[in-house]
Order: sequence, then C-alpha cells, then structure tokens
Amino acid sequence: MRDLVLIAHILIGLALIVLPVLILRLSSKKSLLLKPLAGLAAILSWLLLLPAGILYIMFYPATKTLIKSGPYPWLHSILMETKEHYGLLLPLIATLAAYLVFTNKTKESRKWWILLIVISLLIGILGRLLKIGAIA
Amino acid sequence: MKKFNAYLGMAVSSWLLTVLIIASEIFEPFKNFLKDTFYHHWIGKGIIITLAFIIFGCLLKETKSDEKISWFSVIGSLIIIFLFFVLEYFI
Repeated sequence: MRDLVLIAHILIGLALIVLPVLILRLSSKKSLLLKPLAGLAAILSWLLLLPAGILYIMFYPATKTLIKSGPYPWLHSILMETKEHYGLLLPLIATLAAYLVFTNKTKESRKWWILLIVISLLIGILGRLLKIGAIA
Repeated sequence: MKKFNAYLGMAVSSWLLTVLIIASEIFEPFKNFLKDTFYHHWIGKGIIITLAFIIFGCLLKETKSDEKISWFSVIGSLIIIFLFFVLEYFI
C-alpha cells in the first residue's frame, strides 16, 4: 500500500509542476485549454493532500525515528517540519491561481502559478533530502 | 452578490497557518488540543486554514491593495515558517 500511495504522491506532485508550466505557456495565447487546466491543477492540489496525509501520518513516524537517531536530526526538525506545512498552503495557492484564471485575471495569476511551481519543486527536493537522511 | 475575495482569504490563511504553527510548537497543550480534536495536528491546521480561506474570502471586501497584501503575506509566511523551525532547532 505504501508504494502505491508514494507513487500517487509523486505523480500528483509532478503534475503540480507540469500543469502550471503549461498554463504559463498558454496564458499569453488565450487558449481554450487554460480554464480546464487551471481547474485540474486546483483539484489535483487538494487531492494531493490524501496521499501526503497517509504517508505523513501512517508511514513517516518510523522514518522520523530513524532520522532523529541518525547523524542529521535537523533534517526532520527543520526540513520535514517546513515541508509538511508548506504543503498545506499548496492547495490554497493553486485555488487562488485557478480562481484568477476563471475570473479572467490570467495575467495576475501568473506569479501564483510560478509560486506553485517553486513550492512544489522545493517540497520534492526536501522529500528527497529526507529520504537520504533516513538511510544515512 | 459580493464577489469572493480569494486574495484576502489567502492572506488570512497564510498568517493563520504561521500563528498555528508557532502556537502549537511553543504551547504543547494547544498541539494536543489540535490532535484530540482533529486526530492529528497537521489535519487540524489544514482544516482551520481552509475554513479561514472560505470564510474570510466571503466576508472581506475587495480593495485595490489586496493583491499586494496577499502576495507579501504568503511570501512572509513561508519565510517565517522556515526561520521559526531553524530557530526552534538551535535554541
């Protein structure tokens, strides 16, 4: 079950990088795909909380014990704590960006899509660092 | 019908998340309250800031500076959250 949830977590996380990139590329062309893609990004950002929550609440405690007893306990105390809370803002940022697209404020939405890409990337990198910390 | 103010809903939620994080880390009974009420403090924070996004987005009137307030609130919150955990680790 863990692997399935992890794959869903990674795939949806990747979609939250790819979709905003597509939206940014299409935003100057007034494409008909803009609103469906923005809506999909917002929906996926909420859906992502499900695998994220399952991994964090059910499976992470064992990893946390490993990290905290290892050579890099700050990986949990600083990076994981930051990651888990940044993740809570992702769906709100995606919803705000999608709302702006749906209310025809596409130009104003651009920086929010960029922020979504940056935070999603950052969360992915932090997750990778935690994995390295757990096996160190 | 009044328009939904997503900008200020976002601003309130981001500051509220920052406050919830600091309060739950500094004041253990508050973290336990979130755990007891919502099963996990992370779920509690998520539900509270989502409700704040909806409620304040519906209640607050639009002003010209909403976009700036919202942007700097989110960026400020992201920085403070990271710095708080750095400080908490070293102190």
